[in-house]
Amino acid sequence: MEWLGFVNYAVFMAIFIGIYALLALGLNIQWGYTGLFNAGIAGFFAVGAYTSAILTTPFVPGRVGGFDLPVPVGWLGAMVAAGLIAWPIGKICLRLRSDYLAIATIGVAEIIRLVVKSEGWLTNAARGITNIPRPFGDLAYTMSQLAYLAIVAGVLLAAYLLVERQFASPWGRMMRAIRDNEDAARAMGKDVPYRRLEAFIFGSALMGLGGALFVHFNRTITPEAIDPMVATFLVWIMLILGGSGNNRGAILGVAVVWIIWSVSEIVTDRLPHEYAVKAKYLRVFLIGLMLQLVLRFRPEGLLPEPRGKGRRPEAAAQGARPPAASD
Amino acid sequence: MKTLRIAALAALLGATALAAPAHADVKIGLLGGISGPIAAMAPAMIDSANLAISQVNEAGGILDGRKLIGVVGDSACNPQNATDAATKAVNLEGVIAIVGPHCSGAVLAAANSVTIPAGVTIVTPSGTSPEITTLQDNDTVFRTVPSDDYQGRALARTLLERGTTKVAVAYLNNDYGKGLAEAFRAEFEEKGGEIAGFAAHEGERASYRSNLADLAAGGADTLVILDYGDGSGLTMLRQALENGFFENFVGGDGMKSDAPIRELGADNLTTFIASAPVGQQSDALEVFNKAFSDIGGDPNAIFVTTSYDATFMLALAIEKAGADKSKVSAALREISNGEGEPILPGEWAKAKELIAAGTAIDYRGAAGEHNFDEAGDVPGAYALFKVSGSTFEVIAEME
Repeated sequence: MEWLGFVNYAVFMAIFIGIYALLALGLNIQWGYTGLFNAGIAGFFAVGAYTSAILTTPFVPGRVGGFDLPVPVGWLGAMVAAGLIAWPIGKICLRLRSDYLAIATIGVAEIIRLVVKSEGWLTNAARGITNIPRPFGDLAYTMSQLAYLAIVAGVLLAAYLLVERQFASPWGRMMRAIRDNEDAARAMGKDVPYRRLEAFIFGSALMGLGGALFVHFNRTITPEAIDPMVATFLVWIMLILGGSGNNRGAILGVAVVWIIWSVSEIVTDRLPHEYAVKAKYLRVFLIGLMLQLVLRFRPEGLLPEPRGKGRRPEAAAQGARPPAASD
Repeated sequence: MKTLRIAALAALLGATALAAPAHADVKIGLLGGISGPIAAMAPAMIDSANLAISQVNEAGGILDGRKLIGVVGDSACNPQNATDAATKAVNLEGVIAIVGPHCSGAVLAAANSVTIPAGVTIVTPSGTSPEITTLQDNDTVFRTVPSDDYQGRALARTLLERGTTKVAVAYLNNDYGKGLAEAFRAEFEEKGGEIAGFAAHEGERASYRSNLADLAAGGADTLVILDYGDGSGLTMLRQALENGFFENFVGGDGMKSDAPIRELGADNLTTFIASAPVGQQSDALEVFNKAFSDIGGDPNAIFVTTSYDATFMLALAIEKAGADKSKVSAALREISNGEGEPILPGEWAKAKELIAAGTAIDYRGAAGEHNFDEAGDVPGAYALFKVSGSTFEVIAEME
């Protein structure tokens, strides 16, 4: 049945887009609205992924765990753990200016990755954790994927609505004020470091949730999954391309990048064999080229940040400010 | 939204283009880490798999003269790309079975989320993690490369037999190094050996002197390096030699590389030995080596024999089972269970006749006999090598 194959593939892509959309939404809170350059997405993704994996798997000798808790508990745990990890990091690093924050978060993500790879009692090190339950995982292939898509879509919709609500609220306006002109916001009596910390923790918790959804879909997690290439920089490309500061843009960016990435392989497979293998490298180049073109011709992204009644001041933001949204 | 529409359109076009020829040919997926950390190794592995496919097609094709086609997918050595590539292979290309993915993490993810639910048999030529053994896979996950567990244990027993009872172990911190090291330690200590140092190291560092000093502090004069000989294993070996931290060096199959001989010189490597898998049937290995050299491949490249065997065996299994993916795994066990007429690499026409006549066949591969155990693993045969001139020479078979 050919059409069933298309359905399976489309559902699979939709699940991945949903999971990465959570990461992009989390980054949008941090970068798009608050101007925090978090280059350690993979770290929070990993914390969420492993927390949920440890909480929901049955006992295995030689590794902490055996809690065998229901999956939703694992997901909540993932958000809490990612938020808790973000708190001390934010406390220390958020006083740094944006580029220093980027360096610090890269370092933290790398520390988390090495801990995951080395501490066998906690994460089973390089071998990873297997036998992670997937909700409705006992159903047949297509039904199981559809059920999981429904869950991911539900979680994403809830996250999207909550984040949208948050940005429309006075809190969101305050965050934009802090992003665009930190001094002015401080002069208005806003507690800038504390508000930034809030945004950092919210965003990180969403990234943790994305990690948790990822492991339950794959039923396994190994350290390869938290490689900075696929878990940090890819998300950045998605957000910048889609439009930072716009939640719909973030989700659109994820969809566009993932679809182009995945579908381009189908196209290159039409080539004769000797070129088909070489063309796989071209796909990596394609993503970079796409980013370059977007930054050159449409720096605000596909869907730019909406400018409502409270227009952003055009001039002179001294603090962190997305370069993509200016000029 | 425009871009999204264009992308969706491209997806549809791509999809319709490949829908048409699906019934004429028999497809198998070749998933490999073409981009990513093993990008240097993957092309040779894909080439050797394609050698098996072209042999099948030249000798009469598969089933009723149909063409066998290998669909190459990039699993990039990470779960994200591996599941994506496997989903495309299974659903869009309609492959009957898959060779790969190459890396263990990719195998676990692709098997768990795609191929086990879809009932597609996969044979990995290079996923060596012991975790693959314990997958609940409805007997659909196989491998032609032994689990690291086997090699680590065999190496430990061999060293003890040769009178080495106290060693320090340095291993690369990935699934390969760790799997080997833990199996080695378990067996070595159980059989009465002493581990005087046991430490992981990260790859691609400029200096391992502090790691080596820590390991040497345990008092062992033999260092077991479980790493790759063309990467950090070489650096470690060089620095241990330069500074005299240890006298004897033992490596796993990753260390049996030409790089140490080329870089350090055979004169300096008289105390270096390495274990590596060897083909049990040396005639099968020779047949493969010749065929692969003829198409310009390097038969000594890592995992080319296992890739070839995985592909050829899947072709045999499909020939036996018909183009029905649910029967492939059972047929895969039947064509290589140690009983029946022996089939060597490349003997497709002979195998095809025997299968048609209903005679039992037993494939003897370039990398070993591949009689799968209950978990779909192969035991593998190992030998201990020492450096001799510009190459390696067997000094002992390993039990």
